[in-house]
Amino acid sequence: MYGADVEQVAIELNEDPQKLADFEARIARGEKIEPGDWMPAEYRRQLIRMISQHAHSEVVGMLPEGAWITRAPNLRRKLILLAKVQDEAGHGQYLYHAAETLGATREEMLDALLTGKAKYSSIFNYPTLNWTDIGTIGWLVDGAAILNQTMLARCSYGPYSRAMVRICMEENFHKKQGQEMVIRYSQGSARQRQMIQDAITRWWWPTLMMFGPHDADSPNSGVLIRWGIKTRTNDELRQDFINQLVPDLQACGIQLPDPDLRYDEQSGNWQIGEIDWDEFWRVIKGDGPMNAERMAARRKAHDDGLWVREALSAYAEKHSPLN
Amino acid sequence: MADTQWPRFMVFERDQPDHPWKHNGSVHAPDLEMALLNARDVFSRRPEQAGMFVVPMAAILTQTREQLAENPLVVKKLQEGQASSASSSLPYMIFAKTFEQGPCEYVAEISAESPEAALAVAIATTAVKNPLWWWAFAASTVLASDAADAESMFAPARKKSYKSSNEYPVVTMMRQIRAKGKLED
Repeated sequence: MYGADVEQVAIELNEDPQKLADFEARIARGEKIEPGDWMPAEYRRQLIRMISQHAHSEVVGMLPEGAWITRAPNLRRKLILLAKVQDEAGHGQYLYHAAETLGATREEMLDALLTGKAKYSSIFNYPTLNWTDIGTIGWLVDGAAILNQTMLARCSYGPYSRAMVRICMEENFHKKQGQEMVIRYSQGSARQRQMIQDAITRWWWPTLMMFGPHDADSPNSGVLIRWGIKTRTNDELRQDFINQLVPDLQACGIQLPDPDLRYDEQSGNWQIGEIDWDEFWRVIKGDGPMNAERMAARRKAHDDGLWVREALSAYAEKHSPLN
Repeated sequence: MADTQWPRFMVFERDQPDHPWKHNGSVHAPDLEMALLNARDVFSRRPEQAGMFVVPMAAILTQTREQLAENPLVVKKLQEGQASSASSSLPYMIFAKTFEQGPCEYVAEISAESPEAALAVAIATTAVKNPLWWWAFAASTVLASDAADAESMFAPARKKSYKSSNEYPVVTMMRQIRAKGKLED
């Protein structure tokens, strides 16, 4: 997702022990690390990886929803959807900016996305098949993203944390417009109820996968938590999400596609059946329903924009005060 | 030709005409003019804004608290600056980030011979003490939005109330469904 974490890495720290101790003491005191401050190379590497992955997710995330802008059923819904997709573009920009403060260049990051080296949230490799998918993405997908991003707003790296504060504020609009849509369709005509049920049935499991592998299978979590990049684990966030969503969706009369779903009195948690991790890894590794199409759309947009970049460069050169 | 995303420009804004300038983020562009247009697209999606300017990253001198503690370059430059004549001085804009959750904000405009000298004067004479970092750049490197364009640049965002999460009464709607099994309309 939206900052979730799926790559395998080996951690090797060859740092000055005193500097490392001072750095970890700053994090323990709750100080933010700022651009230009000393930081372990691994901290920088992990952040660039996570933030650029997060930025790519915002950018690729425009595609499934953008597909419905021309087919919105009325002007109000079209305005909302346009504004939401535009926000995602802006979020991508905030995040690339945060990664650039660590020394990553825009060219490197875009190249990693376009050549398929970089990951982005697996959720965007699923198709948007009917109009109510738009509301479902807002409530479920953006709702899940907000939980993760609220945690990241407390992250130890200042620019990432501040980008998250701002993004969460805007994402609240995304979540609530989606929830409003889902509620209305769930109380609408038989056809509308059937559409929203279909959308939730398809998006439920992929949304739960957004939080990433179980804690035991999440190789980065240790170092990310040690350095205050993450403050909560994938499973904790996923459980919060399930507990928030299940009662509301059920109140709307929507069935969840999980025969094992049950409320556990003792823990106060809604317990789900097992996630299909084979599907998760398949989608992450590039074999989801829409991976090829999403990447093709990104590359086409990049290639189609080449003449604009060339024209702007030529104009800038001609009007440069140096000429 | 190798593809390029162009240089970075820092973006600053203010939310009222008489409020201080604050750093907002960055954009990439081939020149100042496009940087300002890109900045408008990226950063004016929400109210309130009354002005915006951009400055090339390359024109900004940064000194962090840590850098100043380790290498008091600025103090040295100040002494050099005082020793030479002030005939070639230019106006420099000084910004500082004083606390973590706050913005990097305008501090002063100072005439000096170099960004280092301007920053040294700011450190010695302004009320800002030991911020997280300082920025200094020549006022001549900036492109600001025209006050006459403020309406067309910033007013549209104010009318888009649907971008506010308050526009969606989902808590009330959920309460109605739970209490009555349907929405009141």
